[in-house]
Amino acid sequence: MSVLIDILLAILVIYLALQSLLAPRLSQSVFLFFAFGLALALAWVRLGAVDVAITEAAIASGFLGVLFLDALRDFSPRSSEEQKNISTVQNSRSRNSVKSLLLPRLSLVLGLGLFLLIALEAVWNIPDGGGLAADAEKLLPQSGVEHPVTAVLINFRAYDTWLEIGVILLGLLAVFAVGKIQIYRKPIPVVDDILLRQVILFFTPVLFLFGAFLLYFGKTGPGGAFQAAVLWGAIGILLHLGGRPIFLLIPRWLGQLLLTLGLLFFLILGFLFIAGGATLFEYPPAYAGVLILIVETLAAISIAAALTAMFANLNQMKKEESNKIDSTN
Amino acid sequence: MIKEVITVILLVVGCFFFLAGTLGLLRFPDLFSRLHALTKADNLGLGFIAAGMAVYIASPWVAVKIFFIWLFTLLASSTSSYLIARFQKEQEQTKNRKE
Repeated sequence: MSVLIDILLAILVIYLALQSLLAPRLSQSVFLFFAFGLALALAWVRLGAVDVAITEAAIASGFLGVLFLDALRDFSPRSSEEQKNISTVQNSRSRNSVKSLLLPRLSLVLGLGLFLLIALEAVWNIPDGGGLAADAEKLLPQSGVEHPVTAVLINFRAYDTWLEIGVILLGLLAVFAVGKIQIYRKPIPVVDDILLRQVILFFTPVLFLFGAFLLYFGKTGPGGAFQAAVLWGAIGILLHLGGRPIFLLIPRWLGQLLLTLGLLFFLILGFLFIAGGATLFEYPPAYAGVLILIVETLAAISIAAALTAMFANLNQMKKEESNKIDSTN
Repeated sequence: MIKEVITVILLVVGCFFFLAGTLGLLRFPDLFSRLHALTKADNLGLGFIAAGMAVYIASPWVAVKIFFIWLFTLLASSTSSYLIARFQKEQEQTKNRKE
């Protein structure tokens, strides 16, 4: 029975992925992508990886969903006419250049085939006994936490996680670089809707509490900094949409501090360990639990701030553009 | 045995409401009646499915958690459908004014 469910789920995931790629309209692609993210999260739950499932649901269907919808709204008003023009132009162009498309298509097929072969070979060669799992289990008492995934993420392979936090910050810098940083400070018109405001006020403490719970629960079960960060980032996005853009209300230096706090503290901690004679990110077992909790909390704050700032900045840029268009009209 | 029978009945009723809501979404003519079909029928269906799960797991603590999941979903979905309807109404009003 459960095998049947798994097979159905696998077929559903592949079907939704294909449909999302092949959908004729942009909005259909986006909504199919949400469905794909949720089906994938379910698949992760069936595989027993609840950590990954929470992150998948929160990032792919939550945060990316907000960004996609925001982008979609930007494209939708002028879509119908322009898209028609674009597609007719493309059609006439593609008829002329069927031959020139043959080479890229052939190389794409060859490349995908090669990738598939390598992936199959890798799956075939998975060592019995799950690789390093036994070693991780053995060192778990020294790590300061009780959940193996958290131990690996924040302790055994802290370097990876530190770089991941850096990657999120780099993504934010790219968003800043593409947009103009000055307009980041301009106020936006406040959405005045009493129901929206009340619901956001109601959900803010609930989301904060749930994020804090996930953060602390990471010590003993599936959860941790990244899952908590998405929930806290959702608070920032909700407040922004409800007319309370956090990054415009707090001083600029405080925003910058919030964004870099996690990366900075992690790095300083690493250097302190080196100064104390250990290697980078080698926690002393006696204090490991407390240090990991502090690192995770600060990392979650930074990631949440980065997600909020990313959304706020993209949202801001568009407001600016539409104002410009309005004024020229 | 009785527990399983109650669970199955609740789940089937929940699925029926989801089916009705989806049918409404597909068949109703305009956005407002579609929203009405979705929010009413689906939230009721989710309630029945949540109740079915709570009966199946049969632990008071988990039942409380499931109840809160249902409550938060109710709040979020009703607010978002209200916002969608408000947006649509404003769009129509500006369109009418232009004409």
